[in-house]
Amino acid sequence: MATSLENPDELDERERRALETLLKRLADDEFVLAERYTEWQVRAPTLESDLALANNAQDELGHARLWYDVLGDIGFEERELVYERDPADFRHSTLVERPFEDGDWADAVLRSYLYDAAEEIRLESLVDSTHPKIADRVGKIRSEEAYHLEHAQNWLERLADGDEGHERLQDALDRLFPYAFTLFEPVDPDVEEDIVDLGLRDATLEEMGEEWLSIVVPYLESLDLELPADGRVGDGTDEFEFEVTEEMLPEERGRDGTHTDAWFDLYDEFTRTYRELGRTETTRIMDKPE
Amino acid sequence: MIWEVFRQEKTGQYHTHCGNVHAPDREMAKQFAAIQHGRRKPTNSLWVVPRDEVGEIDAEDVAFGGTTDKAYRWATTYKTTGEDAREVVESEDEQATAERQRGDD
Amino acid sequence: MDLDTVKDRAGPREFSPADDLPEEYRKAATRMIEFHANSEIMGAYLERPFIRQAPSIDRKLACSAKVQDEIGHGQLLYRAAESLGVKTREEMLDDLANGDGKFLNCFHYEMTDWVETPMIAFFVDGAAMRRQATLRRTSWEPYAHAMDKVCFEEGFHVKHGEDILRELMSGSKKEQELTQAAFEEWWPRIIQFFGPTDDKSTHHDFAASVGLKQQSNDQLRNAFLDQYIPKARSYGLEIPDEPRIRELDDGTYEVEEGDLDWDEFFTIAKNDYEPGVGQINGRKAAQEAVQWVRDTIESDATAAGGHAPQAAD
Repeated sequence: MATSLENPDELDERERRALETLLKRLADDEFVLAERYTEWQVRAPTLESDLALANNAQDELGHARLWYDVLGDIGFEERELVYERDPADFRHSTLVERPFEDGDWADAVLRSYLYDAAEEIRLESLVDSTHPKIADRVGKIRSEEAYHLEHAQNWLERLADGDEGHERLQDALDRLFPYAFTLFEPVDPDVEEDIVDLGLRDATLEEMGEEWLSIVVPYLESLDLELPADGRVGDGTDEFEFEVTEEMLPEERGRDGTHTDAWFDLYDEFTRTYRELGRTETTRIMDKPE
Repeated sequence: MIWEVFRQEKTGQYHTHCGNVHAPDREMAKQFAAIQHGRRKPTNSLWVVPRDEVGEIDAEDVAFGGTTDKAYRWATTYKTTGEDAREVVESEDEQATAERQRGDD
Repeated sequence: MDLDTVKDRAGPREFSPADDLPEEYRKAATRMIEFHANSEIMGAYLERPFIRQAPSIDRKLACSAKVQDEIGHGQLLYRAAESLGVKTREEMLDDLANGDGKFLNCFHYEMTDWVETPMIAFFVDGAAMRRQATLRRTSWEPYAHAMDKVCFEEGFHVKHGEDILRELMSGSKKEQELTQAAFEEWWPRIIQFFGPTDDKSTHHDFAASVGLKQQSNDQLRNAFLDQYIPKARSYGLEIPDEPRIRELDDGTYEVEEGDLDWDEFFTIAKNDYEPGVGQINGRKAAQEAVQWVRDTIESDATAAGGHAPQAAD
């Protein structure tokens, strides 16, 4: 068992880098996904579904807020982490930055499913994190994520039942699946190893990827969807291996700082007011998280 | 068949759940409910709803209102100055009450 | 029930879907509540981009929650309107998309910058709250019930709007100037929120006589000015010279109607004002883009409906 990394002042360079990398992966994913979800506000299929997706957007944003706050302990402020950060330094998976085509609700719910299934696995691997603040916050976040996953699955099952819905889901799956693999891509392979060695997270990216495949592949197949790649070890088995080849991945992985053009546009939009008003700090409304 | 019964005491008030009755159909359910649930307490109107048609989601299924801090959605979070309009004060008071009932305070 | 009986009985929360009401009442109530519901949707449409443009995470959360609430208010209000049996929610949303649905003048204007957000969230919502508070005593019970929940939630919107205003007006000189400019642009529209003076208002008499509407345009405008002029000044905003507003000896206000652009107001009321038309069409495009989803879930619902217990009737 690795020792507790509680006191930020006592962290050495290696520990600090591992903590920073882990938290940026967590926070940036949630922040950017929320940013995309909010595009559905006032545009969702019905008033009721509009309210539900807005809820999920706020949840994710709240989670990002919690993770950015932990980064505060090692000296980062919100303005540096979000509003003044070089967009190429964001570490989110490119799955969450992809823009939605108008009306592509199939993309929204499938993306949510692919992400939330991975998120559940990731949060589980943080329950016993050697950084107590991370471990503490996982519980609150998980209970909200459970609703998101069910919400996504409920929609997937209904859409998959209709001809148009099924076709759109397949189309979204073909497009999104390569990007979903980047959820498990390293920011830097050495640092990723440190994250596990130091006990910040108790599963490797490959282990989490494998578990993810073993959940999402059979589920999506049960909806009669064809997977672009399934990671099965041999035909017809239920054993999965997370072996991602270059061909399976998109050019932009997010984790390593490469992003699609859509991200830079998105960044310009959400930093616009801050820049134009010449702000130098971000407004807090709520108390600092406990 | 079981029918859930909702009673409204006076015109304009809300119908709130007050009990149920066994009845073979809606017509009989209304007649039974009128006696069983309307004979003593003040009643302006009753609704009867087939129990099988009632869906339930409870606090074990979902964390109502979320588990992370949602203070941003409460009027009480904002510290503004000066006297507020009466209706704003009323709204804020109602929210403060709801927050207390939720145990957020 | 005939119209005279309706007028006799027209007290707060007096009529419910169980009552047999004359067509005049049901149509007037539908028009009024549909207008209100449409306004929630178009207000949300206008504010949505500022979820993204909010300059901090906390502000972003609050903006998202506010837009979510407005959609929720639309949901409540369309139900209250639907229960009159004149139009379905789908018909009302289609009419809004087609440019036949009417909504509040303020939401026909463009909103392009963050400094404008308190003009809606503080002043327009403050004005709306004034009106909504009186509507808790409307004669259509489902409308009054919707108002209970709307009023409960809306305090957050106004307080958040006020907080943004406070921050901007205590910020840099540039922020203060931009905010003052936005205020000057929005102020006449905000005054027009309450419509023309009572003697020029077309629908008031009937709506008041059947208890749908509780206070006249003039009473509401006065109450609003009384509360919000001091508020605006307290944050350092200067009230524009026009429209001229006279404070009378009895503490009420008189707005010089001739200083307001009523041609523009009535062009807006006909849905013919250009930025508003763009916003209506923008929402229409969004609504049409997800028609396939509604078709999918509605065909499911129809199929499921076949299994619903029929013993009830």
